[in-house]
Amino acid sequence: MMLAFIILGALTLVGGVITIAARNAVHAALGLVGTLLSVGGLFASMNASFLAATQVIVYAGAIMVLFLFVIMLLNANQPVTGRDPVPFVRELAGIGGTLLAGAFVVLAFTYKDPPALAQNVAALRGGTAGAVGETLLTRFLLPFEAVSVLLLVAIVGAVALVQRPVPQPDGVPDTEPAGVLSPDTSLVFEAVNQEAALKQTVLKERGRA
Amino acid sequence: MPDWVIQLLITLLKGVGVALGLLTTFAYMTLIERRLLARMQIRLGPNRVGPMGLLQPLADAIKSIFKEDLTVTLADKLVYTLAPIIAIGCALTAFGGLPAGPPGSLFGADPWVYNLDAGLLALLAITSMGVYGIFLGGWASGSKYPILGGLRSSAQMISYELGMGLSVLGLLMLVGSTSFHAITHWQANNGWMILFQLTAFVLFLISSFAETNRTPFDLPEAEQEIVAGYLTEYSAIKWALFQMAEYVNMITASAVMSTLFFGGYRGPQFLEGLIPGIASWPYIWLFAKIAAFLFLFIWVRATLPRLRYDQLMRFGWKLLLPVALTNTVLTAAIIAFSTGRLRVWLLVLLGVAGVALLIGFSDRVRVLWTTPTVRREDVNLTPARPAGGD
Repeated sequence: MMLAFIILGALTLVGGVITIAARNAVHAALGLVGTLLSVGGLFASMNASFLAATQVIVYAGAIMVLFLFVIMLLNANQPVTGRDPVPFVRELAGIGGTLLAGAFVVLAFTYKDPPALAQNVAALRGGTAGAVGETLLTRFLLPFEAVSVLLLVAIVGAVALVQRPVPQPDGVPDTEPAGVLSPDTSLVFEAVNQEAALKQTVLKERGRA
Repeated sequence: MPDWVIQLLITLLKGVGVALGLLTTFAYMTLIERRLLARMQIRLGPNRVGPMGLLQPLADAIKSIFKEDLTVTLADKLVYTLAPIIAIGCALTAFGGLPAGPPGSLFGADPWVYNLDAGLLALLAITSMGVYGIFLGGWASGSKYPILGGLRSSAQMISYELGMGLSVLGLLMLVGSTSFHAITHWQANNGWMILFQLTAFVLFLISSFAETNRTPFDLPEAEQEIVAGYLTEYSAIKWALFQMAEYVNMITASAVMSTLFFGGYRGPQFLEGLIPGIASWPYIWLFAKIAAFLFLFIWVRATLPRLRYDQLMRFGWKLLLPVALTNTVLTAAIIAFSTGRLRVWLLVLLGVAGVALLIGFSDRVRVLWTTPTVRREDVNLTPARPAGGD
């Protein structure tokens, strides 16, 4: 058990370092996949098999595939060069990292022993879905529902962001939702719009013929 | 030797045995598939190497191992090599959790490699990692058609994973456990699950075809459109590894469907009257069920044309997912509000109604009564009936 913890913990750290250090966005994403998988393994080694499976299905299996999908679709896998446009980003990151490290130090020194192992194992009931579901829907009902509302808001926001501007009558230029989209995304939208316009003209021509 | 070393050795042996068994099945599966397809299309198929072509898989294996292993200049070397390994690794790992017989029937050992409480969930987790093989292979090839195939496959697999996961929820509620042993045991007491969850079975079957990238869902390697999709730049043993992964996934999907809906490693109970104890003979029942499903995979490949990409997405999101959700909710309601014989009849009714709904709203039947909708970009366009679907 201890051996498994050491190996998986090391793998988690290695994955995290790759995520930050890799120059290629796909390699970084793969490092993150490694981290998430190792965390799933950590859950499994602690007998929380339901959490482990969910971790792998949701994070490593679905969310990271979407990450990679976007990276490949926008061809964002080129190595990043040049200066960061956000001012003071390094300094801010340094302060944030220091604060986080400090928090971990405080945590490590104020650590209290958890309840006895036998008690914990009984509460887990083999780490099956039943124990997790019961806790989620009784003791943590309010946070659970709040998270689902948050996800709904995120979905509505995503739909609102990618909505095409309403076509204007001739002569009035379409207003792009400027400032919201990064240059890459707006390029994609432009390409899509151009394609749609082209298609429309072709169809018109065909209709006339 | 201490006890845990012996246990570890036994597990390792079982793992290697399962891998070898799966790969041998894969080799002969390719031959059987080619012969069967040939028969369905009134041809002969490969019959030159060995008696009845039985040595063909060996010849194919020798060829793929000794062929030159090409790597494209623009390929990302590391990921390019990693992709087939991920694909075959996930495919082989997934099978180990399925019980092939009652405990202790493998010369005193248990006939499975690992046994997790979250059995079905763990299997879904492992197969969901398999998408990375295809996806990364497509990207790492550094050329146009592979990346199109990779993008298609990831979109397709994520879409159908949802339908697959949702379809088994009703089953899990009935059994009350995610472990394959509990599911098999429940079916031995109550009868095969397909009687209670017919809709779930049909949804799971369709999703399995999509998850294993088989016709009619083999969009990622549609040869008329994108050469061979993610496989285009691969050759020799790496190509063979991808093929292996596809067939091993098919075998695993067949085994999962047998375990979830057809009683797993247990045979039909009524045969007990003829030969006592026949229903709990290990291996033969599971293998027979797997073989039946593999035949179905080949049969469908010879029968159905490939879907268009928009049809695939529409079917997955607008039909499969809502039907799976409805099935889950109604099953939960039936379990909550009825008992005994009434519950069984309601579940059977739900299953039949769900399948009727699926067939009625599928693209092949719906067009019989709905007027085809054409997106009218121009009013001068004469309405045309597009080929296939609406």
